[in-house]
Amino acid sequence: MRRTAPYLRLPRRRFLSGAAAVVAAPYVLRLPRATAQEKPAEIIVRAWGGVWEEALKTGVSDPFTEMTGIPVRHDLTEDNEIRPKIWAAVDQGRVPPIHVNWDTTTNATKSALRGVTEDLGDLPNLEGLLPLAKPAGLEGWPLVNVYSYAYVLAYSEKAFPEGAPESWNAMLDPAFRKRVAMYDDGIGLFAPAQVAGGGRFEDIPDNMEPCWEFFRKLKANEPLLGEDPDFTNWFQNDEIDLACTIISNAREAKQNGIAVSWTVPKEGATLDTDALWIPKGLPENELYWAKQYVNFALSAEAQQAWCNALGLPPVRPGLEPPADLVGDIAYPASEADLDRFLRIPTPVLVEHESSWFERVNEIMQG
Amino acid sequence: MKSCRADIGTGGRSDRSFGLRLLDLAESVRAGLFPARFSVWTPYLYLLPATLITGILAIGLAEMAETSLHVLNRATFRPDPAYTLANYAAVLSKPVYLRIMLKTGFAALLVTGFTLLLAFPYAYFLVRTPHARLRRFLLVALFLPFLLGQVIRAYGWLIVLGKQGLLNAALAAIGLGPVSLIYTYGGVVLGLVQYMLPFAVLLLAPALTAIPHEVELASHGLGATPWRTFRHIVLPLARPGLVAAGVVVFTLTVTDFAMPEIMGGGANDFIANAIYDAFFQLSDAGMGAALGIVLTLFASLIVALAFLLVGVATLGHGAQQDAGAGR
Repeated sequence: MRRTAPYLRLPRRRFLSGAAAVVAAPYVLRLPRATAQEKPAEIIVRAWGGVWEEALKTGVSDPFTEMTGIPVRHDLTEDNEIRPKIWAAVDQGRVPPIHVNWDTTTNATKSALRGVTEDLGDLPNLEGLLPLAKPAGLEGWPLVNVYSYAYVLAYSEKAFPEGAPESWNAMLDPAFRKRVAMYDDGIGLFAPAQVAGGGRFEDIPDNMEPCWEFFRKLKANEPLLGEDPDFTNWFQNDEIDLACTIISNAREAKQNGIAVSWTVPKEGATLDTDALWIPKGLPENELYWAKQYVNFALSAEAQQAWCNALGLPPVRPGLEPPADLVGDIAYPASEADLDRFLRIPTPVLVEHESSWFERVNEIMQG
Repeated sequence: MKSCRADIGTGGRSDRSFGLRLLDLAESVRAGLFPARFSVWTPYLYLLPATLITGILAIGLAEMAETSLHVLNRATFRPDPAYTLANYAAVLSKPVYLRIMLKTGFAALLVTGFTLLLAFPYAYFLVRTPHARLRRFLLVALFLPFLLGQVIRAYGWLIVLGKQGLLNAALAAIGLGPVSLIYTYGGVVLGLVQYMLPFAVLLLAPALTAIPHEVELASHGLGATPWRTFRHIVLPLARPGLVAAGVVVFTLTVTDFAMPEIMGGGANDFIANAIYDAFFQLSDAGMGAALGIVLTLFASLIVALAFLLVGVATLGHGAQQDAGAGR
């Protein structure tokens, strides 16, 4: 019996769907066909690991590859580590190490101020996005915000059998000594700490003494300091009962079967955004396809799948929230909902965040 | 038969003379390139590769020193072109950096002390045991964790010492409460001691091998107790190894990054972690470079002090011992 070589076995249905995808790609991506460029061997996108990479893969990268035939590789270099590499490459006229950077908006804005980002103003899918997508304090579109997220107070259900803690001050309770956690630079906790410490949110950045007093008290409770994946591990290994972390990490822990929940305490929670940007210095065809990747990431289809996997509200309005987060206090479903969060303006973060990191480091290393 | 031997003999002579001619040729080429009158420079030629490597490091260090003289402009996130000592002023005036430096230095002293205490008996038994199997076991036990790398070992400690780790499971089995050893200063020191042990044993072993066993036997024969033999014979003769091991362990500890990062829980940073934060978290290359220069000076100063106290010549002592033992 003759067997067809595997690479020649192409069922009719797959052929038709593949052909349809190739024909439809320019329309879905809304590419101007006349300017389509030679396809690069791959598109490299810097990403965070764990649930973050998985969501990007299923929501954006795999569908993009299906549509264009261009493989997408995720570079999991830490966002803080890739930044100086890109800056050096652009300064030295070298091709940057990645095509698309998935970054925090604050860090992306720093790169934009340094002048190393490409303008994304010609992407068709910018149309119809929430105002939150537009970078603040910058001309044009050197980056685009892709979703928002809240830094929630995640807690072990075992430690709080009677329900969620009401205040961020629960982190200062000596009963939880060595069992509380926060990001190693304090990110996400500055605004709630300011309010929980007895200060006013409006006083940021001019008078943040209440915030630093909160951190000093927290230091006495010997918190663990870590990065995104640490929180899931710590809850899983029963190392902590309380953590200030992004909702996606707490949700991942819960989806892994850990008895973890989260809340937005009475003082409020920080709301921030992440962004996509493209470094300068790419060859013309690679820049073109990098832009198409970002454009696709902003499409309704990609936003729905990507943001639902992360449990985060997208910047494209009118999409369905994930079923488990409908009505969740930490998931703003409308623009009006955003107002109940503490949002430090990006220009303030860009100017002051580094010195706040230093301050937290000073307190925590004491 | 005779003619055959003659042939063979002729062939052998022919091969030898060809070989000799090649050697003559090589010698004349060498003499042309490097005449005999230059032979006084031969020792310096041997130093050339090491000098080149050090020179490249020095260039990097000079570049870092230059970077350290610029502060970060937060409007453009580029270094300000003006030269200033502001980064050094910040390093020396901010309590956080002084605390981190003290923590690093104290940890380095603790790690060096504990490591030498553990490494000395290990190395002694390694070189003195008459049992080949025991020596092999000690070598395997020494090298197995050595081959795993620092990060893997640090994570191994997290598994062993974590809340649900082996240690706490064992304590729970005998009715004792959980203890928290990871994410503490002590945990970092513990991890580093285990990491440094193979380095110290490997540096101590040759020095101990160079001590003739007969000297110890003679001491014992003359009525000295094992402690007196150790105190007055073994320890002084092992000094080159102790100094070398101490310097290597101290400098590796003082510049370590991974162990405080993984085992420290974020609140037990060393200088290397502060440098990383300055470069990558704060995007402040000037501050990172200034901290790097301070770390280099600090480590160099300690090593210089060690050599000043024990004498650089101490490190050559082992070689003299070797030569003596050979005779």
